[in-house]
Amino acid sequence: MTEKAKIGLFEYDVKNGLGLIGYNVDEHEHAHIIVDTKKCGDCDSMMCVWGCPAQCYQFRDVGLDEMKFQYEDCVECGTCFLMCTDGALSWNHPRGGFGITYTYG
Amino acid sequence: MSEEEADFDVIIIGCGMAGMACAAQLLKEGVEGDRILVVDRGEPVGAKNLSGGILWGRELDELDDIFPNWEMDNPGIERYINNKKIGFLSSDDAFIMEGKFASWDGIGGTSEPSMRTGWSVLRARTDAWFAEKLEEAGVFIMPGIKIDQLNIEGLDHTSYTARDLTSPAEDSGRGKNQKWRISNFDPEIVDAIRNGKIRGIVQDGEVMTSNVVVIAEGSNSILTRSYAFDSMIHAQDRHGIILGVKEVIHLGEEEINSRFGCYSGDDERPPSGMAMEAALAIFDDMAEKAWEEYPVTAGLVPRAGGWLYTNKDTLSIGVVIQLDSLPSGIHTYDMLAAYKAHPAIAPLIRGGETVEYGAHLVPEYGLDRMPTRLVRDGAVVIGDAAGLVYSNGAVIQGQNYSIHSGKLAAKVIANCIGSGDFSEKALGQYKKDLDASYVMRDLKRFKTTAKFLADDANYTWVPKFMGTMFNRVVREIGEEKITVEKQAMRLRKEMRRKDRKTKKGMGLLNLIRLGMMGRKL
Repeated sequence: MTEKAKIGLFEYDVKNGLGLIGYNVDEHEHAHIIVDTKKCGDCDSMMCVWGCPAQCYQFRDVGLDEMKFQYEDCVECGTCFLMCTDGALSWNHPRGGFGITYTYG
Repeated sequence: MSEEEADFDVIIIGCGMAGMACAAQLLKEGVEGDRILVVDRGEPVGAKNLSGGILWGRELDELDDIFPNWEMDNPGIERYINNKKIGFLSSDDAFIMEGKFASWDGIGGTSEPSMRTGWSVLRARTDAWFAEKLEEAGVFIMPGIKIDQLNIEGLDHTSYTARDLTSPAEDSGRGKNQKWRISNFDPEIVDAIRNGKIRGIVQDGEVMTSNVVVIAEGSNSILTRSYAFDSMIHAQDRHGIILGVKEVIHLGEEEINSRFGCYSGDDERPPSGMAMEAALAIFDDMAEKAWEEYPVTAGLVPRAGGWLYTNKDTLSIGVVIQLDSLPSGIHTYDMLAAYKAHPAIAPLIRGGETVEYGAHLVPEYGLDRMPTRLVRDGAVVIGDAAGLVYSNGAVIQGQNYSIHSGKLAAKVIANCIGSGDFSEKALGQYKKDLDASYVMRDLKRFKTTAKFLADDANYTWVPKFMGTMFNRVVREIGEEKITVEKQAMRLRKEMRRKDRKTKKGMGLLNLIRLGMMGRKL
């Protein structure tokens, strides 16, 4: 058990988890989620950061001054689209044949 | 265009439980397989699909001429459930109720109707098999296809793009004042998108026409929202939506059998299995730290449940989180870590190897959050996209509702093919049939449940109270024995002293209110 877990704070190794999913990542120009990070500046709740189960959003939680988004690890759940209240997100599914592949589900 | 024959009678978007059931029922109703097209984003079909997951109910029996021997032959139907547990977990304790039912073995000789009633499922596998069987029956299956737009009669699909439907407008406000790029288009185009006749799909710039489009796209229902079955803002409200975060852990068939008291299957039955769900009050420390760091959401209690299901040689384990209860400062996946580390859960998964991680939305909307309409001229919405999920904590249903809605839609569509009338009025019979079915009956009868499940009590003092009560009633450490009633009164007093929130939460009026809702579960 880690030091943090001992005091009731748990950390999931999400990169390890994501490594178990099959991905066929599309090129940047076809990214299925587009974030207008200029709109994120004064967002104080950063709900996309906390909701996203794939750590696609990183911001002040990791000490950054600017929202950093990457679509490559996305598991296509759609949580961020529901979480964002600042109109910063454009969401669509990846093009056919791209994105995640579950083998269990 | 309506004068020409359409490319297909029916195009079904999505081959999950709802879509596959709709296709199978259409075949049963006599619609030719080559007049049905099923498209799915997954390649192979099922690759994008994920559930908790238990399939409850015997909806598949009626489709066994298309899916013969589904219980034994479908490689994603893992174990039948004869052991059900409902738990209350607090940071220190666990109070878990367990039922093991011979009648659920489905082999007769019990006083209750003997019937296997639920199965653990792995959806990437179940759905690939369903697609394979539909294909064998003559249905066109196209995997790896994402639908960009619906084809609207009289509207040039190049006059807007799929992006315009789901991107905020330049002059968009925030929150409830959000506006989408499409709202600034020519009103005629907007009206056609919202109210025109739907006649097929557009994929990669290519139009495929059909008399009816069945939208079975699942919980992340982009098309349903975009094409105004629901308003985008209404659909985007995160109240009533749940995120499931899940791991599949390999443990081996023998180990699962011995650890969970399951037995191997035989010629007639798959192996037996266990399904456990629990209300979680285990995030106290995480929440307190989060509130401190992010005062903007201080006081928000994460309302979450956990589950553990046995598959044949793996376990499905995960947490469900009501998204409107998530405070800033807590990552959803860290809640999974906390659940896995709980003293009542950790020994059950010890030594296992995680083989998959995944996440999926659950549209546990409740009645007031379902899409405002499920039928348009030339199209219907079924399954998760229609918000057909019900849970009261002990009963969790969705996959069977999806199958049922698919069947109901298929029956109406088959009639419409016969009459050649695909208007909103004719297809509207589907909504009427759905309203009259057990799906909507359940959702209506138990409509207070959503409120009950959204009550903080179930994720704070209730699990703690249950665990501590049971502990004190059954232990023997030389203390004076008192009646259960006295024990409960004493514990309530003690807990109410802890903090103001618990004091209020366990107040008499609140208890009465909870009890009133609890009676209606």
